[in-house]
Amino acid sequence: MARRRKISNAIVYLILIVMSIIWLFPFVGLVLQSFRGEYGGMVNYLVPKQWSLANYQFLFGSGSNFPRWYTNTLIISIAVAVLQTVIVICVSYALSRMRFKGRKALMNIWLVLGMFPGFLTMICLYYLLKQLGLTEAGAVPGLILISVASSGMGYYVCKGYFDTIPKSLDEAAIIDGATRAQILWKMIIPLSKPIIIYTALVAFMGPWCDYIFASYVAFGNEKGYNVAVAMTRWVWTNDYQGYFTRFCAGGILVAIPVTILFMCLQKYYVEGVTGGAVKG
Amino acid sequence: MKKFLAIVLALCLVVALAVPAYAADKTLKVWVADAVVDFTKEQIDAFMAEHPEYADYAVTVEPVGEGDAASNVLTDLDAAADIFGFPQDQLARLVAAGALIELSEENAAVVAEENSAGSVAAATMGDLVYAYPLTADNGYFLYYDKSVVTDPSSLEAIVADCEAAGKGFYMEINSGYYMPAFFFGAGCTLTYDADDTGAFTACNIDYASDAGVGALKAIIKLAQSPAFHNGSSIGNATNVGAIVDGTWDANAAKELLGENYACAKLPTFDCEGTPTQMSGFAGFKLLGVKPQTDDEKLALCDELALFLASGEVQVARYNAAGWGPSNLAAQADPAVQADEALSAYAAQGAFTIPQGQYPGDYWSLATALGDSVIAGDYNSADDAALLAVLQNFQDTCIGYAK
Amino acid sequence: MISRFFRWLGTDLKEIGLTFAEGDWKTKLSFLLMGFGQLLRGQIVRGLTMLALEGGILYYLLDFGWGYLKNILTLGVVETHKEGRRTVYGDNSFLILLYGLLTIVIILALIYLWRVNVRQNREAEQRLKIGKRLPTNREDLASLFDKNFDKTLLALPVLGIFVFTVLPIIFMICIAFTNYDVTHQPPAKLFTWVGLENFKALFGLGGEGFGGTFFYVLGWTLVWAFFATFLTYFLGMAVAIMINKKGIRLKKLWRTILVMTIAVPQFVSLLYVGKMFATDGLVNSYLLKWGWIQSAIPFWDNATYARILIILINLWIGIPYTMLIVTGLLMNIPAELYESARIDGANPFQTFRKITLPYMLFVTGPFLLTQFIGNLNNFNVIFLLNRGRPQSMSLTNNAGSTDLLVTWLYKMTINDSNYKIAAVIGIMVFVVTAVISLIVYNTMPSVKDEEGFQ
Repeated sequence: MARRRKISNAIVYLILIVMSIIWLFPFVGLVLQSFRGEYGGMVNYLVPKQWSLANYQFLFGSGSNFPRWYTNTLIISIAVAVLQTVIVICVSYALSRMRFKGRKALMNIWLVLGMFPGFLTMICLYYLLKQLGLTEAGAVPGLILISVASSGMGYYVCKGYFDTIPKSLDEAAIIDGATRAQILWKMIIPLSKPIIIYTALVAFMGPWCDYIFASYVAFGNEKGYNVAVAMTRWVWTNDYQGYFTRFCAGGILVAIPVTILFMCLQKYYVEGVTGGAVKG
Repeated sequence: MKKFLAIVLALCLVVALAVPAYAADKTLKVWVADAVVDFTKEQIDAFMAEHPEYADYAVTVEPVGEGDAASNVLTDLDAAADIFGFPQDQLARLVAAGALIELSEENAAVVAEENSAGSVAAATMGDLVYAYPLTADNGYFLYYDKSVVTDPSSLEAIVADCEAAGKGFYMEINSGYYMPAFFFGAGCTLTYDADDTGAFTACNIDYASDAGVGALKAIIKLAQSPAFHNGSSIGNATNVGAIVDGTWDANAAKELLGENYACAKLPTFDCEGTPTQMSGFAGFKLLGVKPQTDDEKLALCDELALFLASGEVQVARYNAAGWGPSNLAAQADPAVQADEALSAYAAQGAFTIPQGQYPGDYWSLATALGDSVIAGDYNSADDAALLAVLQNFQDTCIGYAK
Repeated sequence: MISRFFRWLGTDLKEIGLTFAEGDWKTKLSFLLMGFGQLLRGQIVRGLTMLALEGGILYYLLDFGWGYLKNILTLGVVETHKEGRRTVYGDNSFLILLYGLLTIVIILALIYLWRVNVRQNREAEQRLKIGKRLPTNREDLASLFDKNFDKTLLALPVLGIFVFTVLPIIFMICIAFTNYDVTHQPPAKLFTWVGLENFKALFGLGGEGFGGTFFYVLGWTLVWAFFATFLTYFLGMAVAIMINKKGIRLKKLWRTILVMTIAVPQFVSLLYVGKMFATDGLVNSYLLKWGWIQSAIPFWDNATYARILIILINLWIGIPYTMLIVTGLLMNIPAELYESARIDGANPFQTFRKITLPYMLFVTGPFLLTQFIGNLNNFNVIFLLNRGRPQSMSLTNNAGSTDLLVTWLYKMTINDSNYKIAAVIGIMVFVVTAVISLIVYNTMPSVKDEEGFQ
């Protein structure tokens, strides 16, 4: 029995090690490319022949607006994380705790709306934002507005989590004379730390990847770019030659805060998403 | 519910506030590629210094590459730059969308006189000139590694050298831009006639012929070589023995190939047993002015665009960023004449045709044909089957001009 | 359905009539000046809100909305023309449609508001008649944080979704019935209504259609979504179980390694991974160097290879997510279940099939559905890896063998400005996914039994 377990554990270890290598490989590749000192295009070897910090120096030098783009993205991410979390909590509480006319219909409609291919409406959103003056130089608030405006539809996981908090608690509180607002603020929120962190974390990670709509909204104004828009130009157009290593360096810098945050909050992420799916 | 509605309405009011107006404004926006932003700023400053009558205009220059410029202009003409650089293949699309104003007669005359005939033709739809030629280097030729390729004059020899050295031969044969090097070389034509509204009226094509089959067979053969890689961008090529690419990659090619860097006109290819010179497109970058609602600003745009595309500025642009001029006087400049990559391109120029206008669908159809070749769909096809493929291609091309 | 609507409309109109006939002068005046009755009865908050809303809407309609709405049937007739070399812009069909729709919606809102106003008046009158007092302003406001707290909470989200999701969707649906494409681009050109022309073009009723390509792409989209969802799900579960296995050390380390892929933005990682598999990329180069293959494998050039590779790379992205979720859930399965199964002599595989799997499927039903829908519209993976290549002579309109409907749509709108056809396909995608998911969602045990979780 013990022998069998040993063998099976050995197999599992082997699988896990192979998987780890596969999973880490692109990550390691990116890091290595970002320190490559020679020629900046694609190469077919992994380890640089010449180590250098030049790519990072370029990002923070006068030749690029990288710090600006980075700040833009950071502002968008933080604002979206905060506002989106507030909205999702509001919606989830209303849908989970309150019973009102049209509740079921609202949930079905929102479910269906989420299935419309999003970027078909991009041009329309662009014109709405333009009318509000939130394109080009105003791209940052514009992107925040768009991300936050539709975030109410992403209530699933959070509502699922709220559903697992016993309703008898609410009833007791109401008997004690608490209003609905007080119940949300004083009772539900303190009980929901994992789901709040989960929601904020997911919201925070979104804007770092937004390159298509963000490039629409910035409309050529470099000051309104986020990192994704600015950096994809380096690899997708003919205007930039040998920027690949710089692209990798930028990618690493983007990955660092998100990775650290994710590592620290992983516990809540797991609790949030599993609690939201259901609690047994 | 009340509160909700109140907010709806408040928001609607905000939305309603700004009615889009095309009022006269005193700002002027220019879009050029990142590489020439600083250069363009300097030139514009010099221009403004000489034209005090436009002193109240504020000119901004934003780095928007040519391809992005065209798609941005098509997305929102109102917010787009007043003067923008774009690749010539977008001309018909931009004219059809009403995004370009034709040149004034005086400017058109100047442009026609000072620039190479091909570049003027590239800026013309029907009988109206719609843009200012900026460069005449948007075509391709051969970069190669001297230590790998011994004879750059024959495709078969180059590929054999690359195979022997374990290096790659790169050419983006699934692109409607590079693929005609074979077809045109074999003597086929593919051009479109367009009227001055940007609509295509006729397609002149004879790909479905013996010559076309010969060219297609050469492409199929090339695609089967283990040395072949589909791609014409140095930045993405990792194992270059030789690559068909343009002047825009000259610096990257020098950096990559180091002392083995060399360039030449395109080689000959074996077309049904006859060595045939590869042809291709001679393309151009253009500078366009979007339609203006204000006469004074239009006059400024006209003058500024003419200036930015003038021979003098083209030479300066060559010196600053290496862009090969379209202006005849600028082409004769000694510095330009001495440029290796541009010389190779000029040598190829004898065999190319100036790139005209093609409908957007042509490019995707060519990609489809190229992808089918690369995927090996035709590896065992006989001449009749290939002729049928080209007949289908030809019919579809003709179908786009209606 | 329709008869029910008319019956409802009938009773509603009757009630409005009754309110007017039986109401006092305050109520009657409220039919014109909204909120007037409420104001005079001391309900200042309600009255002022109503009045302000009416004023605001009417101002909007007269000042802005009507200018667009009046042209909505033609989408503009004044062509852009030139005076000398100066351009004089005519009507802008795009804005006429967009703001015309907005105006229609606002008019509907006004009608609804007016109805609420009438009802409030009637209720107030009836309450007063039987001698009850009306809620005070303070009570009205307080109820927004208690009894009517849902309205406060949902106001902003609903509004946001309405303006920035619903309105654009209605707009794009309308585009499917117009000729908005590259030769009809505002502001320089007009576009107009063309009825069902675009639908006919798509399904080849009008001659050369690209219905064949549509069904080809749809087929691959479904196949992709199926494999991407379920392979990821089961393999992710397997990984989670492996890491959870008794006697495996460094559990946290394994999880962390896998999770790193989530943290690196996809536009960086996928782009890099995509290039790794080029014919001259890292993978082929090393395989050649080690002599495992004689010539490069055309990962992205061969339709079948490309499809398989995309599904595999998607595993690289998807497994960590599933692993995380399943890890959390595994801890929730009551240990007694496993214990009794072990006593009954079940082997590990049987316990998995009889206990773990059914539990997981029940619990993660909604998650699976959202994953499936997400994969139907999984733009990033396809676009960043190979942009739908390879194309083929057997497909039309720029479609490639690995294109999903969404990436195909993207090419049509961005590369070709072919909004009309993109809108038609968008509607088809929408209908297919919406129907599937509504049915699945509403029959899922965990959703049906919403109240039963606690």
